[in-house]
Amino acid sequence: MRWLIIMFAAVLSVSAWALDLQQAKQQGLVGEQLNGLVGVVRGGGEVTAVANDINRKRLSSYQDIAQRTGTSLTVVQSRAGQYNIERTQAGDYIQLADGSWRKK
Amino acid sequence: MRKYTAIVGLLLLSACTPRVEIMVPDKPITVNLNVKVDHEIRVRVDRELEQLFEQDKDLF
Repeated sequence: MRWLIIMFAAVLSVSAWALDLQQAKQQGLVGEQLNGLVGVVRGGGEVTAVANDINRKRLSSYQDIAQRTGTSLTVVQSRAGQYNIERTQAGDYIQLADGSWRKK
Repeated sequence: MRKYTAIVGLLLLSACTPRVEIMVPDKPITVNLNVKVDHEIRVRVDRELEQLFEQDKDLF
């Protein structure tokens, strides 16, 4: 029973984070960067916490891919960054090479 | 007679030496090889990334 509750809570919290990332993107709080990670456009601690959590999970996946394909984390991050920026919906933020944010 | 063969031999040897230098420029081959490896890695990374986007939709 306790396990069920823990599993349920875990599933709920994951979906809550997911909702937060999409919301944060649509509200213009975070955007996609060239290094394959999300960056905070504006917002306080909560936005930063969401971004950090997402980036931690992304980085560990990128690291796995780097190992499997026999390349460096930097290569994977730059490819992911290009993909993420391509996939960004119009109206959401992307970061340019000079570090400035722009609406796509 | 021996003198002549020695001279001819030397001439042949000296005539051959410039040809050896043609072997030197093998740099383009390594460049092509690097590009190929780079391309292969890129394709593999892209394939893995597409899988990741599908698997962890909530992260992207």
